[in-house]
Amino acid sequence: MKNLRRGLLVLVLAVLAGGILKLRGRGGVPPTGGGWRELEGPDYR
Amino acid sequence: MTVLLCGAGAVGARAARQLVDTPGVEHVLVADRDARRARSVVEVMSPKAEVTDWRPGDPMPGGVSVLACALPGGVDAVAAPPAVDAGVDVVSCADDRAGVAALLALGARARRTGSRIVVGAGLAPGLTDVLAAHAGAALDTVTTVRVARSGTAGPACRDALRRALRERPRELRAGRWNEDPRRGGHELVWFPDPVGAAECHLVDGGVELLYDGFPGLERASVRFAAPPSRGWAPFPVRRAADAGWAAARVEVDGRRGVAWETLVYGVVERAEVAAGTVLATVAAHLAGALAVGPALPPGATGLARAVDPVAFLGELTTRGVRAAAFEGTPV
Repeated sequence: MKNLRRGLLVLVLAVLAGGILKLRGRGGVPPTGGGWRELEGPDYR
Repeated sequence: MTVLLCGAGAVGARAARQLVDTPGVEHVLVADRDARRARSVVEVMSPKAEVTDWRPGDPMPGGVSVLACALPGGVDAVAAPPAVDAGVDVVSCADDRAGVAALLALGARARRTGSRIVVGAGLAPGLTDVLAAHAGAALDTVTTVRVARSGTAGPACRDALRRALRERPRELRAGRWNEDPRRGGHELVWFPDPVGAAECHLVDGGVELLYDGFPGLERASVRFAAPPSRGWAPFPVRRAADAGWAAARVEVDGRRGVAWETLVYGVVERAEVAAGTVLATVAAHLAGALAVGPALPPGATGLARAVDPVAFLGELTTRGVRAAAFEGTPV
């Protein structure tokens, strides 16, 4: 019973931690090695 | 010239608007299993557009030059044969493996009747095939084409994407088709802003059309980003800032002279707008209302072989769908 309670407590804490990371977490800095340039005529390169 | 547009959903409605705005297209017939939806599309485009009670599988109405299909996966295979038998040109934005294969299989029949079938005329497959051909034209040899797409056009497109993600993926490796029964092969793909980075999963997604467009290709793959959850989660889910936007990215490796080069093209647009514009532009081209490529011979082909990339990208630009090139080190 004690082990079950411990397991449940760990599970609840893991879900809470995961939820906080999901809702409050931020992505990393995207790798910037260039940028996008709109294609223009006449050759659209 | 009369175009029969089958499907008045998210893509069909945008294609109808583009067709009506094309001067050479005289008449647009709109068919949908939901007559009310077809009427709602047509009522703002009258008198050039009109509702028809034609259903996939019915004989083609007289006077139709092109059948444009904006249908859920699998229905194209039912809609196209009567058009092919009547010698009417067909363009479809199907992106599922079975749908693409069924339309390509109609090629021999189309050659007998003089019909032309353009398969995969949407965002991806579709515009991505044209961008790959455009990149390929700048290289002497092309060895690898990698396509990725994020975003869907509507509920039917989302369902098709979910099906594609469940199916066994297929990619070309060392010139051979590889079907890995295990799921996997996902990659973080960087699309133009505002979509940015998205994890994309290996799918079939019309990879056969890429191979068709580049004979001798060694590697080809298509990856789609998973659609957002259905919204049944009991807890709040962070909404993506790019909701509603779709993007595609095409990376082409090859040789120019003695040097290896990688060219990366991309596009960001509402998925239904991009797919509808591509579908309508190809339909208008087949109808002779636009000239965005060579005169196609009868048979079935992908979009890469059906249009001239520069003319096609120019036409899309005038219609508001603009592609971009990545400059720098691809990531």
